[in-house]
Amino acid sequence: MAESEVPQEEKTIPFFPDHLLTEARVAVVILFIIAGIGIYALHSPVGLGDPADPMNTPAHTKSEWYFLFLYQILKYVPKSIGALLPFVAVLVLALWPFLDRKTDTKSARRNRFILATVLVAAIIALTLIGEFS
Amino acid sequence: MAQKRHRIAVGVMLLVVIVSLAVILAPKEVAAAPFDPALEAHSLSEAELALVHEAVPPAPVQDTCQHCHLSGSIEDMWTPAWRWLVFSVMGVVFVYGSYRMGSAWVTRKPWKPLTARAAEWLDERFQIIEPIRKMLSKPVPIFATRWMYCLGGITFMLLVIQAVTGVLLTMYYKPTPDEAYASIQFIENEVRFGSAIRAIHHWAANGTIIMVVAHLLRVFITGAFKPPRELNWFTGVLLFVLTLGFGFTGYLLPWDQRAFWATTVGTEIGGGIPQIGELALVFLRGGWDVTAITLSRFFALHVLVLPAIIVILLAGHFWMIRRQGIARPL
Repeated sequence: MAESEVPQEEKTIPFFPDHLLTEARVAVVILFIIAGIGIYALHSPVGLGDPADPMNTPAHTKSEWYFLFLYQILKYVPKSIGALLPFVAVLVLALWPFLDRKTDTKSARRNRFILATVLVAAIIALTLIGEFS
Repeated sequence: MAQKRHRIAVGVMLLVVIVSLAVILAPKEVAAAPFDPALEAHSLSEAELALVHEAVPPAPVQDTCQHCHLSGSIEDMWTPAWRWLVFSVMGVVFVYGSYRMGSAWVTRKPWKPLTARAAEWLDERFQIIEPIRKMLSKPVPIFATRWMYCLGGITFMLLVIQAVTGVLLTMYYKPTPDEAYASIQFIENEVRFGSAIRAIHHWAANGTIIMVVAHLLRVFITGAFKPPRELNWFTGVLLFVLTLGFGFTGYLLPWDQRAFWATTVGTEIGGGIPQIGELALVFLRGGWDVTAITLSRFFALHVLVLPAIIVILLAGHFWMIRRQGIARPL
């Protein structure tokens, strides 16, 4: 069978070494970034804030940036709803393929893209509001 | 004849190794007190001796070399570079020579690398070469080499980096309120490359979160979660939650103000869950407040429980993707 008879998407390469080599290229870039972070930190370490003091509540306590949007949501909704929201969201996310069982189509894919974009934009917006308020 | 020669050579090498090990491992004599000319020439009073010692501090009792390496008190990190170079070249020559020599112990048969012999030895017993070859030569569809398919791999790589740097940090970190903060200061200021290791752990943690979310979005948008890959998506979401759990528990460990109050507020939110809120809060904090128990509990979660779970889930995640293949894009 001639090479050209195989459709483009059916073509394969062996996992080792071909595919692993493409992965290794990415890995080398990451390693360089990691090494750069390490060398930079030899001059200026990450550092620490003031030691923890349970008696002294600082004026602005902020969480890690990836939990900041959850904190921000809490400012707009009641506490119990805000506490349950992440669990419900994760549950919906985990069970999504069991709820959305139809064969995939282009329009479904576009809808998912729009949904993801809106959600990510909302999360980024909330994070930014939380960071600069 | 040749066989005998090889045996003699191997014997000599073993002898050299044993003798050098004996020399290296032999107990060292405690260094004698340094020669102090001032003390020898005159008999000084206590006060004068103190003055001398202020000008020339007495040498530390420890092995100076080891001490400086551990404490990082050699300011210029490249000072011992030439020593590293010479010793590593010698080491490479020695290891390569041993490897070549060990590879040729049976002279009737053609020369074969030691690794090939080891692989054959194992294969005779466990028949592993064929399955491994099959696993390695598994065809990967060409669409899987597109850039957006590398996000999961990057996440995995960052997790491995987290594991390695995390183990290194654990060797110096002390999970008690009295010592946690100081032990991290020790890591950053005293331990050689400690600040680099901590910075890598810190930034790679942030990178892992970003990459997990990117990977999740890619799978979600391209519809790779569709049947029959529901379970792989499910384990993926669990892995995502675990990564956040790593972030949440790891954030408390420096025991600074930011960490303490972020955890206080974070567990407070857990306390807001209807019905089980108080139980969750007490369970997370190990009491009503964030205390030493909370710290050791978060430490145990961060270095024992979560890693164990994440290894199992990752194995499942990878096994399923291997078994079912990478989802074809629409």
